[in-house]
Amino acid sequence: MSKSYAILPCNGLDKLAGSLSREIALRIAEQTGSEIICPTFYRVSDVLYNKVAAEKPLLVIDGCGTRCAGKLATEKALKVAAKINVAEESKKYNIKLGSSLRLGENELRLCDLLVNNILKDELEDKAGQEVKDTVLMPAEIDYEIYQKDKFVFRLPKEGFYFNENDCWAYVVGNKARIGVTDYVQKSLSDIMFFTPPEIGSEIEQFGEAGAIESGKAVFEIICPVSGVVTAINDELLDYPEYINDNPYEKGWIAELELTDFESDKELLLQFEEYVKIMKRKVDEFHV
Amino acid sequence: MSEDTFMGAPRDKIDWAPTIDYTKCNYCMECVKFCPHQVYEVREAEEKRLIVKNPNNCVVFCRACGKTCGPDALSFPNKNETTKKIKEIRKEMEQSE
Ligand code: SF4
Ligand code: SF4
Repeated sequence: MSKSYAILPCNGLDKLAGSLSREIALRIAEQTGSEIICPTFYRVSDVLYNKVAAEKPLLVIDGCGTRCAGKLATEKALKVAAKINVAEESKKYNIKLGSSLRLGENELRLCDLLVNNILKDELEDKAGQEVKDTVLMPAEIDYEIYQKDKFVFRLPKEGFYFNENDCWAYVVGNKARIGVTDYVQKSLSDIMFFTPPEIGSEIEQFGEAGAIESGKAVFEIICPVSGVVTAINDELLDYPEYINDNPYEKGWIAELELTDFESDKELLLQFEEYVKIMKRKVDEFHV
Repeated sequence: MSEDTFMGAPRDKIDWAPTIDYTKCNYCMECVKFCPHQVYEVREAEEKRLIVKNPNNCVVFCRACGKTCGPDALSFPNKNETTKKIKEIRKEMEQSE
């Protein structure tokens, strides 16, 4: 028997992607004995759903980038165990959604795929591929502290490279560990969900290395280096808040085997340069 | 505020900003609310009520507002090509020094 979820779909009835999120929820519920939470009713009153939301892992299904279901989960302070975004998946599988509000052949094909992914993920979870992180981090990191009002921003003084998109890389030999800086986690505030990059996938410098998400926004992790993903911080799948605690230590994102660091380096910043940029951003945007 | 260089290359030589697909945009203005860099401008009286006013204010490689757009109306240039372009510009600058 597959894992049984509390399913929170977006129920966007004026968009095909929303209707699809409803269909996906129905099918997963039928096949796994999961329970569906009606987002419209949940907004009005939560007593009916408190129990199921507390007892079962939450699967959030959003139709589009407006992320109504995801935002509702944040509002209700629910922990998200798994997530589907229909619009993103339709791009990923290159299956275009039609313009009618009724589900057609393409939509049902995408629906099958996404439902299977959720059911299959279950099996993979159990197979549990063991991938170990190997980049040896310094035992103690020396931080520069920049304070603005009640917000404190930390920045490691030595050994880290940065890009202007507020991500860092710590390089040892031909391996690197990557993550985001305090500026990112403070701007997003409480991080609710981590979408890891795929192990084994090759990422170009400035390509996307997964994403993190709060009630405020989705932040695409812009990879400072090019390489092949060898490990991800899988603790973040259960505890994305580690990124808020410390994005340089237990909130790291992934590790990569480097493919062309000499050339990547040209477009990276060291502490002295990035600290100026970070301070400027804090002064200009952080309120 | 716009910085005039990105990784040492003049910002106005780097082509990086969102493009709005007006056939999809529903003028929800989520992107405008999201971006703190005054890239967009809202124009109440015009037919295109939203334009990319200051493309050079957009942070190179950022695509964040694209993720706030429900109807997926925003697109961005290709990252690899932009990276290549920046490296070329830097090389040219070194040679002319
Ligand atoms: S978020 Fe998308 S739909 Fe909304 S105004 Fe911006 S481009 Fe248009
Ligand atoms: S990509 Fe980033 S900087 Fe550019 S307009 Fe969107 S949010 Fe603003």
